Amino acid sequence: MNLNRYAKRIVFSFIACAVCLLSLAYEQKLFAQPHGQKAAEGPLNRKAESEGARIVSGFQFKPLNFVPPMVERVELKNGMIVYLLEDHDLPLFYATARIRTGAVYEPEEKSGLASLTGHVMRSGGTVSMPSDKMNKELEFLAASVETSIDRESGSASLSVLKKDIDTGLAIFADVLMHPAFPEDKIKMRKDEVIESIRRENDHPMQIAGREFRKILYDSGHPYSRRVDGTIESIGKITRDDLVSFHKQFFHPNNSILGISGDFNKEEIIKKLNMVFAGWKKQELQYPEVPTVKREFKKTVNYIYKDINQANVIMGHLGISRTNPDYFAVEIMNFILGGGGFSARITSRIRSEEGLAYSAFSAFQTSRDIGIFYVSCQTKLQSTNRAIAIALEEMEKMRTAPVSEEDLLLAKETYVNQFIFQFTTSASIVGQKVDIEYKGLPLNYLETYVENVKAVTLKDVEDVAKKYLHPDKIKILVVGDKEKFDKPLDTFGKVIVLGLD
Amino acid sequence: MNRKVTTVIFSIMLLLLITARGIHANSLKLDVKEHVFKNGLTLLMLEKHEVPIVATRIYFRVGSVNERPGITGVSHLFEHMMFKGTQLFGTRDYAAEKPLLEKEEELAVKISEETKKGEHADKEKVASLENELGEVRKKLRDLVVKDEYFSLYTRHGAAGLNAATSSDGTYYICNLPANKLELWAFMESDRMKNLVLREFYSERDVVMEERRLRTENSPFGALIEQLNAITFIAHPYRWPTIGWKSDVQFITKEETREYFQKYYAPNNAIIVMVGDFYRNEAIHLIEKYFGDIPGQAAPPDVKTLEPEQMGERRIEVEFDSNPYIAISYHTPGIGHADLYALDVLSSILSDGRTSRLYTSLIEDKRIAVMAQAGIGIGKYPETFTFYAIPRAPHTVSEVEAAFYEEVEKLKKEPPSDWELQKIKNQIEASFIRKLNSVSGLASEIGYYELLSDWRYINTYQEKVAQVTANDVVGVANKYLKKKNRTVALLVKKEIEEVAQ
Repeated sequence: MNLNRYAKRIVFSFIACAVCLLSLAYEQKLFAQPHGQKAAEGPLNRKAESEGARIVSGFQFKPLNFVPPMVERVELKNGMIVYLLEDHDLPLFYATARIRTGAVYEPEEKSGLASLTGHVMRSGGTVSMPSDKMNKELEFLAASVETSIDRESGSASLSVLKKDIDTGLAIFADVLMHPAFPEDKIKMRKDEVIESIRRENDHPMQIAGREFRKILYDSGHPYSRRVDGTIESIGKITRDDLVSFHKQFFHPNNSILGISGDFNKEEIIKKLNMVFAGWKKQELQYPEVPTVKREFKKTVNYIYKDINQANVIMGHLGISRTNPDYFAVEIMNFILGGGGFSARITSRIRSEEGLAYSAFSAFQTSRDIGIFYVSCQTKLQSTNRAIAIALEEMEKMRTAPVSEEDLLLAKETYVNQFIFQFTTSASIVGQKVDIEYKGLPLNYLETYVENVKAVTLKDVEDVAKKYLHPDKIKILVVGDKEKFDKPLDTFGKVIVLGLD
Repeated sequence: MNRKVTTVIFSIMLLLLITARGIHANSLKLDVKEHVFKNGLTLLMLEKHEVPIVATRIYFRVGSVNERPGITGVSHLFEHMMFKGTQLFGTRDYAAEKPLLEKEEELAVKISEETKKGEHADKEKVASLENELGEVRKKLRDLVVKDEYFSLYTRHGAAGLNAATSSDGTYYICNLPANKLELWAFMESDRMKNLVLREFYSERDVVMEERRLRTENSPFGALIEQLNAITFIAHPYRWPTIGWKSDVQFITKEETREYFQKYYAPNNAIIVMVGDFYRNEAIHLIEKYFGDIPGQAAPPDVKTLEPEQMGERRIEVEFDSNPYIAISYHTPGIGHADLYALDVLSSILSDGRTSRLYTSLIEDKRIAVMAQAGIGIGKYPETFTFYAIPRAPHTVSEVEAAFYEEVEKLKKEPPSDWELQKIKNQIEASFIRKLNSVSGLASEIGYYELLSDWRYINTYQEKVAQVTANDVVGVANKYLKKKNRTVALLVKKEIEEVAQ
């Protein structure tokens, strides 16, 4: 709520791999660093490790005795899938819903419609409860109901104390089923979104994130667009559009619900049937989403901004979330630039050469083909150097063998950190909902560790060759190229882009 | 947005049967156990056995408030250095590395001295020194085990590994699978005993990049830095935690080392453990690894007091960005009775959709898209800060006037019973919700112990419950007055006009 303390003085040391590019530096979670060597050397032989590591290798660790709680999955009569996990430790109750919808289903000329609908569903109140009454009621109970629609999914959440479950569930269901979409709240949200679009060019990272999608995806594909829309498209959206967008997608047989907390299963199912009584199964119609064109072609793109630190984002198309190579790709990227301090790109750019605070690579996956990208921010005078290192590391990942030690470090990290997937009942249920929504195997969590362990050196080498294309990379730099260490066209012909 | 550590909220006595461990039934109080070792090291423990993880924190009572002009930013730079390893970790052979590190330092000092001359620097001399330095660094690189601190931790399943520096303290964060506590105790105690400042110069460059990212190219970051510098004219809260550019650039290894020796001693440290461990084992473990580190004299306290403000201060910050506004008022430090009413006041103004700033500035007048107020709780007198993002074409002046209007209302008319009760309800609920997170609890316990005493968490609830409507009016009149405020406006950079 209050970023005063952080905005004032707290400075975080690293940023976690935040895939979204955020507006304020304070909001970012920073990254870490890896394992760097000069390109000329082979992978470091970790056998000759430190005295400390030798001492640690003699430690005996007791096995962790933990059996994750069983989450139940039921289907209600109306077709809604419900995951339940009772947790009586604290008098709390959480619900989270995923609804199959998203900005990918909105017409291009009305981009921003899905996001607007997702926001005003809650901010505009319902047919029976105006928004100011809803706000008062929820806030007095220290409860919250929130909704949103993103690129490929809709979400709704409820957090309430045990004593107020009935009130909370009633409002939660009402918001999902009967949003009022009053004109004034639509206008208010439109104005807010327009203001945030107006302000995007104030933040180098936001410019980079927005433009990179345009460069990567064919302009006819919804993946190329901003979920928020444009000032022009927002102007075209009417109340009727919101009403029909909501009507088209919000149905019980299109929703997965996860609930956790201090309740009794039989009672809560009765309650769910009661609050969602008016919600009927519907035949569902989905607009067709074009398939992503697999186009790989090197381009160098540049946007001028008078800043003293270049914002670099470079990459190409990656993989979809359900790609069978997913685990191998995760492990490979951990070694390349996703594994914090122990990743190669981060290590060389950050700790070895001191060129950036945040430097990492990531595969951002989606329903169709997502994005592989490398991100870093470095002073103008080392822009080319940083880009060159990232390209070099990508190439090395494809051509030089990965050591057993690098693979082991990645796998041990994934396996040993797995316990943190189970820190709260709400997070366990949330993952279950997410897994089903994304079309992953329902036993995904149960098989996760063996899937990680199954990744071999050959798998890592294969996916590096298959999914990394440094020769067909798309580079985007925001900054002042007159002050770069070397001309930007060292990497290819520069396409100069204007700012919207 | 990061939630400020200090809007931490707790609860009044609640007749709730709480079954979670570590909490007294019938009241919402944390049952933290304390142990102080012979060398002055404080250990705070809260057992919670639901999931086999332990959240650990090591807090040092040192932050940017302990710095001085010339070395501003050294606390934060040192925090980065804490991840570079020790005599045991991060090196293949410390005996071989030591003389090389000394040589590196000697050359770096010479280069700094020369380059500080600016235009008068002897470029040839610098070049030849840099050559020599390059040779030394090549040799050093062969001895380093890159980022071993990080990779050893993560491969053993550590999560959330991070650190942060604020004006009042420095925090080292590590959440672990419960069976890895001994590894943690060994590695952390070694950091306190045998730290080696390796890769110092590249890390100093990393911090410079962090400064460019968070402050120099961020409108809000730049605004807040300027606001603090003008709000405090005497007290060290005036400089940014990340330090002034000119200082960070040239902080020496020697200065950094002194810092370590002065502040990183057991008597200046607090260890917090929350999660699945047993108290006696924890005490034994800490004794085994930290018990032999000698305590030393407590570092000097900050003497300078901020003098009373003698009239409104206003500044403009020119930046290539849309406008922002921030206003700060001097308020007391932790322990002062007025802080509770100030906290309630800030909630009335800006927590949630029913708050006054939201309903007036954002919903009714629509002159802003964000408006927040918050009370900073620091070891020394801090500030109550308001900041907002105006919505074009509305101006910062309109937002400023609207904010004063809300403040004046509160000075004349007590807040309603409903408003007070709402806030008290939220304080209770958020206390209960917080009990779900071992990580959140660990941070909070450590934070308050660092500022004054962890028991603040328990007494806070009672104190807030006693806040009356008239108390809120009282603190509004006492602190939110013109004479006590500093107004900072971020304005669009003017394109320089040709002189008439």
